[in-house]
Amino acid sequence: MTTVAGNGQTAFEAVVTQLTLEADAVVSVRLERADGAPLPAWEPGAHVDLILPVGIARQYSLIESPPDFSSYRIAVLQQRASRGGSEYVHVFLRPGQRVGVSAPRNHFALDPAPSYLFVGGGIGITPLLSMARDAQARGARWSLHYGGRSRRSMAYWRELVDRYGGAVQVWADDEERPLPLERLLARREEGTLLYCCGPAGLIDAVRSLAAERGWPEEDVRFERFAPTVHEHGPDREIAVTAARSGVELVVEEDESVLDALLRAGVGISSSCRSGVCGACQVAVLEGEPDHRDDILTSAQQAAGDTMLPCVSRARGERLVLDV
Amino acid sequence: MSERLAFRRLDREEIRAVVGHPHEMIATKATATIGETARRFVAHSPFLTLATCDAHGRADCSPRGDGPGFAKVLDERTLAIPDRTGNRLVQSFENLQENPAVGTLFFVPGLRETLRVNGAGYVTDDADLLRRFDSDGRRARLALVVEVAEVYLHCGKALIRSGLWDPRWQSLADAMCRGIGVFSLREIEKGAPTGTSAAFDAWLEDVYRRQL
Repeated sequence: MTTVAGNGQTAFEAVVTQLTLEADAVVSVRLERADGAPLPAWEPGAHVDLILPVGIARQYSLIESPPDFSSYRIAVLQQRASRGGSEYVHVFLRPGQRVGVSAPRNHFALDPAPSYLFVGGGIGITPLLSMARDAQARGARWSLHYGGRSRRSMAYWRELVDRYGGAVQVWADDEERPLPLERLLARREEGTLLYCCGPAGLIDAVRSLAAERGWPEEDVRFERFAPTVHEHGPDREIAVTAARSGVELVVEEDESVLDALLRAGVGISSSCRSGVCGACQVAVLEGEPDHRDDILTSAQQAAGDTMLPCVSRARGERLVLDV
Repeated sequence: MSERLAFRRLDREEIRAVVGHPHEMIATKATATIGETARRFVAHSPFLTLATCDAHGRADCSPRGDGPGFAKVLDERTLAIPDRTGNRLVQSFENLQENPAVGTLFFVPGLRETLRVNGAGYVTDDADLLRRFDSDGRRARLALVVEVAEVYLHCGKALIRSGLWDPRWQSLADAMCRGIGVFSLREIEKGAPTGTSAAFDAWLEDVYRRQL
């Protein structure tokens, strides 16, 4: 059975079948469909929305599924300044409780390559777990550098070391062994793809160092948990045409393009509403987007033929969207 | 105006003579801190009433609501309620300048019991705190912090008797409004309608849609 979540996306009714404390302040959640049917298959790097009983939807990377996809596992960090999602999972969620789970999405796909450098910080290890498994199974060369405050707070470090040995290096601040980014990025083997997930500081450091050391931008892939602050033009009124729906509308300066589309009854999926999940991505047929998301690469942003209407607006006064 | 109606006023002993004394279990069930059950209650509640009072003891009660869990338990002695766009009268906040006493009553749809949290309140614009109330890209402008003094779970008798969550009683809304909006009714009552009720209702719906 599928249900439609409040944000217009298809979601499965799921049951929490296991909660596991994986590290200090990290709980993993195993989810199965309420009707016992298999869940959709997914590729490394994918994430789902977890829709909590209070209606909050949050995005989490998928960690593992059995071969028959009868369950998903995600891991959630308890955040002291929770906006409600992390707190609900840690304090209130119980085995047997019903939640919603969206179909998987993937904006952090593991592209084929002869070798990979994985860099994870804290809970940012989660999408890299399935990537390492996949790279290993395909016989690719890879190494994973996992940094965190202390081993106690780092989920899955022991399992990773046990399974992959020297391919995995654990770097803990409290052992005075922080992630040696300078050294890791100094040499680039031709064809190596870099995948990085973690707090904003880590991603920013990796991106700027990689650029300095001559890594091509398209070979450095990252996924953020929270939106970054973007420099952008003023918020102005925009005339938007939803070409496929045949709807013309005005986006006022204090509302998002997404909200205006939804209000006008245009069918469009959405999830994070902050430019980090990619659910609402639409093709731009006319007009120049003012990009404010953390999904598109700078090449994609420059091409201007796609945008994230939950945060991005227009440089001009008009947009025509393929929706 | 006609003279105000007046009835015999009972004192404490006379009231006790009628209602008796509470069972000891009930008399002592209030706690000074927010425990696990109360925390769950707040985390699932989309609606509360907020009572405040000015320096002269003039009381005021107003509704507050948003998605379930919109008010947050920060620790066992601190509760925070975000302030979103209201009618800008901010009578509650005006009262708090004169008298910090706050009484809240939380509701969970479908649940008959309610939760009372009393304490002392103040208004803050602390950026880290406001960030915790972000929802759909909206940030609360202010938050009411309640330093908790008393937490109490009310039994469900009033909600059971009132049938508050009974869908059958949803028809009361139509009976009350007779097909037009509450505020239009009020305008007609005052004898000073500023437009048609349809236009007024359309304006109000637009305000509700745009300013929530």
